Amino acid sequence: MSSITFVTIVSSFLASSVEFVEAVTIVLAVGVTRQWRSALIGAFAALVALALLVGIFGTAIILFVPIDVVRLVVGGFLIIYGLQWLTRAVLRAGGAMAKRDEAAVYEREISALQDEPPVPSSGMDWISFTVAAKGVLLEGLEVAFIVVTFGASAGMLGPAALGAAVAGALVLGIAFLVHRPLSAVPENGLKFAVGVMLTGFGTFWAGEGVGIDWPAGDAAILALLAGYVVLAILGVYLVRTHISNWGVRVVEASREPLR
Amino acid sequence: MSYVRSFLGFWYDFLVGDRPELFAGPIVALFLAWLAVRAGVQAPIIGATLFILVSSVGGLSIAWAVRR
Repeated sequence: MSSITFVTIVSSFLASSVEFVEAVTIVLAVGVTRQWRSALIGAFAALVALALLVGIFGTAIILFVPIDVVRLVVGGFLIIYGLQWLTRAVLRAGGAMAKRDEAAVYEREISALQDEPPVPSSGMDWISFTVAAKGVLLEGLEVAFIVVTFGASAGMLGPAALGAAVAGALVLGIAFLVHRPLSAVPENGLKFAVGVMLTGFGTFWAGEGVGIDWPAGDAAILALLAGYVVLAILGVYLVRTHISNWGVRVVEASREPLR
Repeated sequence: MSYVRSFLGFWYDFLVGDRPELFAGPIVALFLAWLAVRAGVQAPIIGATLFILVSSVGGLSIAWAVRR
């Protein structure tokens, strides 16, 4: 297995783990409060839709778009998306933004679901189906986006999809066993790592797309990743210092359902 | 029409959200890198400049978020 294949699988696995943890919280809340069968069917339907999206768009991009264009456009999107994840992870690690609390999200979902009409005595509960499907689809869309962009840029849609599938199976399996939100997963640490990877690889591929002939070839990726790690850690330190000197209003994590 | 607006709104929120500098900054950085390649600037200099520009966009966004 080449190092690029390995990194593609790891990046996709880490990004997908975070999003699946968030999706599982919603499905658990629906299943516990209303009806497991409809919630699981809704989640499964959303997963099938996501797999189709990845298969159709990923294959189309790889087959029909020239690789330089793919690397420029998709690399650009990876930088944008990676910076969004990384800067939020830095702000959260530095204490300027509240970390996502899966237990609190779970309680909020349960409380919202209790206001809905009662579960029908037989057949499908469409509220359970819709809430679970929507939750998995919205969280999973980020996974699909990362799998398609990362897989297309590296020409490795299969390994990227494999990383996401393993993450999904692992998170769903653990959630099924423990039957409660996976609050112990270090979501911010994972987002920090994924943000660095997306930004680093995005810079490399988009750079190739505009015509940069990177010195040392693929080894330049390592230098980019190391550079972004150092700057992100410096960012956490500076945010913490700023807060301890001046204080800052903490932004609620719940305002950002998609990130 | 409202479906189109919702669809576009969703993607705007997905990619731009409340921090448009993180969307526009990398595009400007890549455009400058493209210009530098066309001007014949050496690859190591362009690569390093692209890294610095992308890092600066992230740094500025964090600074704005903290000061907001």
